[in-house]
Amino acid sequence: MEKLETIVQEALAAFMATDAAAQLENVKARYLGKAGILTLQLKELGKLPADERPAAGARINVAKEKIESALTERRATIQEKKLEAQLAEESLDVTLPGRGAGRGGVHPLMRTQQRIEALFHSIGFEVADGPEIETDYYNFTALNQPENHPARSMHDTFYIAGSRHLLRTHTSPIQVHYMETHEPPIRIIAPGRVYRVDSDATHSPMFHQVEGLWIDERVTFSDLKGVIIHFLRRFFERDDLEVRFRPSFFPFTEPSAEIDMSFGDGWLEIGGCGMVHPKVLANVKIDSERYQGFAFGLGIDRLTMLRYGINDLRLFYENDLRFLEQFN
Amino acid sequence: MKFSEHWLRTFVNPPLTSNALADALTMGGIEVEAVEAAAPAFSKVIVAEVLEVTKHPDADRLNVCRVNTGMSAGNAVLQIVCGAPNVKAGIRVPLAQVGAQLPGMIIKLAKVRGVESNGMLCSAKELGISDVAEGLLVLPTDAPIGTDLRSYLELDDKLFTIKPTPNRGDCLNLRGIAREVAAITDSDLLPVKEDVVTASIQDRVSVVVEASQDCPRYCTRYVRGVNATAKTPVWIVRRLERSGVRSISAIVDITNYVMLETGQPLHAFNAGIVQGSVHVRRGKVGEKIVLLNGVNVELNAEWLVIADDKNPLALAGIMGGEYSGVTNDTHDVLLESAFFTPEIIVGKARLLGANSDAAYRFERGVDFEITVAAIERATALILEICGGKAGAVTEVQAEMPVRAAIRLRHARVQRLLGIEIAQPQVRDFLIKIGCTVKKDGGDVITVVPPSHRFDLMIEEDLVEEIARLYGYDSIPAHVPFVNAGLLPATELRVSPTALRATLAARDYREVITYSFVERRWEQEFCANDHPITLANPIAAQLEVMRSSLIASLADCLRSNLSRQQERIRIFEIGRCFTNDGGQDIKIAGLAYGYALPEQWSSAKRLVDFYDVKADIETLLITRGAELRFETAQMPAFHPGRSARVVLAGEVVGWLGELHPALRQKWDFPYAPIAFELNLEKISKAGIAHYHEISKQPTVRRDISVEVLENIEIQRMLDAIWRRKPAGVIAVTPFDVYRGKGIDSDKKSIAFKVLLQDTDKTLTDEEIESSIKSILDVLQEEFDVTLRK
Repeated sequence: MEKLETIVQEALAAFMATDAAAQLENVKARYLGKAGILTLQLKELGKLPADERPAAGARINVAKEKIESALTERRATIQEKKLEAQLAEESLDVTLPGRGAGRGGVHPLMRTQQRIEALFHSIGFEVADGPEIETDYYNFTALNQPENHPARSMHDTFYIAGSRHLLRTHTSPIQVHYMETHEPPIRIIAPGRVYRVDSDATHSPMFHQVEGLWIDERVTFSDLKGVIIHFLRRFFERDDLEVRFRPSFFPFTEPSAEIDMSFGDGWLEIGGCGMVHPKVLANVKIDSERYQGFAFGLGIDRLTMLRYGINDLRLFYENDLRFLEQFN
Repeated sequence: MKFSEHWLRTFVNPPLTSNALADALTMGGIEVEAVEAAAPAFSKVIVAEVLEVTKHPDADRLNVCRVNTGMSAGNAVLQIVCGAPNVKAGIRVPLAQVGAQLPGMIIKLAKVRGVESNGMLCSAKELGISDVAEGLLVLPTDAPIGTDLRSYLELDDKLFTIKPTPNRGDCLNLRGIAREVAAITDSDLLPVKEDVVTASIQDRVSVVVEASQDCPRYCTRYVRGVNATAKTPVWIVRRLERSGVRSISAIVDITNYVMLETGQPLHAFNAGIVQGSVHVRRGKVGEKIVLLNGVNVELNAEWLVIADDKNPLALAGIMGGEYSGVTNDTHDVLLESAFFTPEIIVGKARLLGANSDAAYRFERGVDFEITVAAIERATALILEICGGKAGAVTEVQAEMPVRAAIRLRHARVQRLLGIEIAQPQVRDFLIKIGCTVKKDGGDVITVVPPSHRFDLMIEEDLVEEIARLYGYDSIPAHVPFVNAGLLPATELRVSPTALRATLAARDYREVITYSFVERRWEQEFCANDHPITLANPIAAQLEVMRSSLIASLADCLRSNLSRQQERIRIFEIGRCFTNDGGQDIKIAGLAYGYALPEQWSSAKRLVDFYDVKADIETLLITRGAELRFETAQMPAFHPGRSARVVLAGEVVGWLGELHPALRQKWDFPYAPIAFELNLEKISKAGIAHYHEISKQPTVRRDISVEVLENIEIQRMLDAIWRRKPAGVIAVTPFDVYRGKGIDSDKKSIAFKVLLQDTDKTLTDEEIESSIKSILDVLQEEFDVTLRK
């Protein structure tokens, strides 16, 4: 029976010597196959006296189990090694760049515009739009700036040759269009391009404004302050942002105010606002005894410059990709 | 407007620092743009007299001066070495004493080339009060020796620059600003002596005001025997200079001074040239006048003129004529002070392109009750400075403006502002700004604005006055309650925000270009010979309104190529303008250079038509509507490489490769591919509607046919679908082959055909029958041959 133990030891050693699945299966056949060493042992059991057979059979089975278990183990090991080798071979340089198209981006001014729309949408302001080539009526007269009003000199207007039309100098005409076609209560925001004859480091002949309008029965100047301050703090994500309202003059609001926000040691003007002038309401046939409200206009370009630390307005319209790529 | 703080403080003197005063004005509604020191800081500089000048023994350009400092005996006379060429005995000049701090230097006891110097005689530049050094600053001969220079020249003054809004013409003068300061800071106006000059000669000019509605009040008087060459006193020159007004001659300076002080523009005519009466009338066609600034104006009834019996003398309220003004030879002056209405003056100076301080004030409204006081004030100053004798004032008055009473309901104040302000306080505020206030019963008061306020007409105007005097800062910011009704968030439209996001994800970068473009672009890209043209463009190349964004994108491409960019993919959303009044918003894109960013494992390939077509498909696929591309030509595009984009049967835009001629003209090495879509037309969307997914297996069959080159795939697909082959759910071309084995006028197309039934497995016979019907239709309509 020492022979059996020798067979087991030899088989185990033979398994360990293999390192490929096929090779291992060959070795297995040598011991466990039809003509395998252990199979032969079993066949020889019949030659033993009947009373020795059970014990001998049991010993052979023990030996067989040992060999089979060693085989399973070796199979797993070889499998594992094979996988390891495969993995090692398949490994990538993960630091190489990804493949395919790149990614574009939204213009910083439009990013600001979208944020403004979203913030005001959250308190129920819908987006309104209107034409950029306007009539004198919508740009000025309906907004209480009759012809030759000195306030008109605040706007250097582009006129269309051979017509009474002009490029809108502000987004306020959208208010008029909207109020002509909608009944109060009205809550709108109207962003867009506006045009003035002016071009230098701080002025572009085309720039962006956003107009806001809220008309209802009890909208007050105090509400106006609340909405603007709240908006600016959300826009700049700074709860300590200081905002001040300075008495000013716009023909279409009364009382009127300039909106300044703290910046460094001083103040920066970022827009105008006020309570909608009764004449403007009368022009669109809204009863100013029943309804009142506020309007404001903010410079999208200015807000964007402050938000992202941009120091030259002209960058917005030069469309240098090296500039635009910074706002992905 | 610019003015001296010292001057202002002669009318009102609140206990506030310069900066606090400026803040108060700004927050009161009169924006202070700048507060500047009249001179930079310096110390220990006094008025000194040069007694004696001798050459420096060792330096040709230096002099040794003995200078009287006016100090007590002992150090009254100092020895100073001076290099200025204009030094001479007898002049009075600034002396920086030992220890003086000047801008950028400290004066020490020094030896200059061996001679002791006890200080420095200064130029204006060394004191920082002028940019140019013209030798020593020579002071008037009566400058008191020993006085501190800063106090002598009032250099501790501050210069305020304010920017009153167009409705506040009443703040374009010192007394008006003082009135405003008094109201804002709750301080009292200092008493002002009102001059009245009694006539010492009998002469009167006869005045005929024909246009009395334009000129409700006209005052004039003679001042005869003046010395027109008299020197303007230093204090007037200084105040004028600090208001940015150059000193010209005594009489002109006085009229300017009184205008700055009172707000009343005045004019002085050379009385010697006035023939007959003074007429205030509208201009006549054919009349001409040459103005003081040399501009020749052809008159008509739009203009109001001051004329004598023969000729126009001045454009009323705007500018005097060249020949009627006072000169050094003038002996007799006819002084004018009038109220011209804003309506007759407004816009006129702009029309002339002229700067006119008078028109600037008249068009904003001049206090019509100050006319007489102003002429008296000017007369008194002329008599004092230029001598002469004054006649009586001739005053012609017609129907004067009336300040209509405004009813102010107390409840209205609270309703507009959102805060309660007590009624007595409201009254106080209104009285402070010069209104007359009467109780009208209940909570209503009647308010009559003062003559200098042209902007108070309705209740809301008064509410603004109350609010600004109460302080905008003191009105609490209230975050309002809103109706919680939800806004629509429709799926029936695709927002510009979503379109931007899609294009950005497809590697396009948004740009914003001007809506006005070069005229040539409209011709080249759109064959538009009649674009909408600006009357006053800022530059010739920004002259017309664009009808397409594509040329602007090409320009943007060009500028970025010049910045060494090689692969450029841009888009813009903007309005386009057509002659028929169309103002549609368009969304356009342009792709140029390699299809992909240069990278380590993708072959380099230039972007082409089909790349951009896929971008459009991605952009529009969510609309739930059929999207087609149809061959069509457009001036900007290669005629064989351009298509109309058709969505749900409607043309929504264009796609194409830039026309080779344009490409050459614009010098693009590769062909840009561009598209332009109508934003409104592509914004409509449908709502997805679920249909059951078939549980039956899908069968794929590929068929490959040869067909003439000019047969479009779309036509073949349309023909197949018209035949409605049973069970076919998709037909997709997946290979197009030309070349070896195919006739040169043909192409080979491989289609993938997917078949599926909703409720049974298709039999081989059914499949073959459907495939046959596809082949039949292709054969019948396009004469294809089947490739095996």
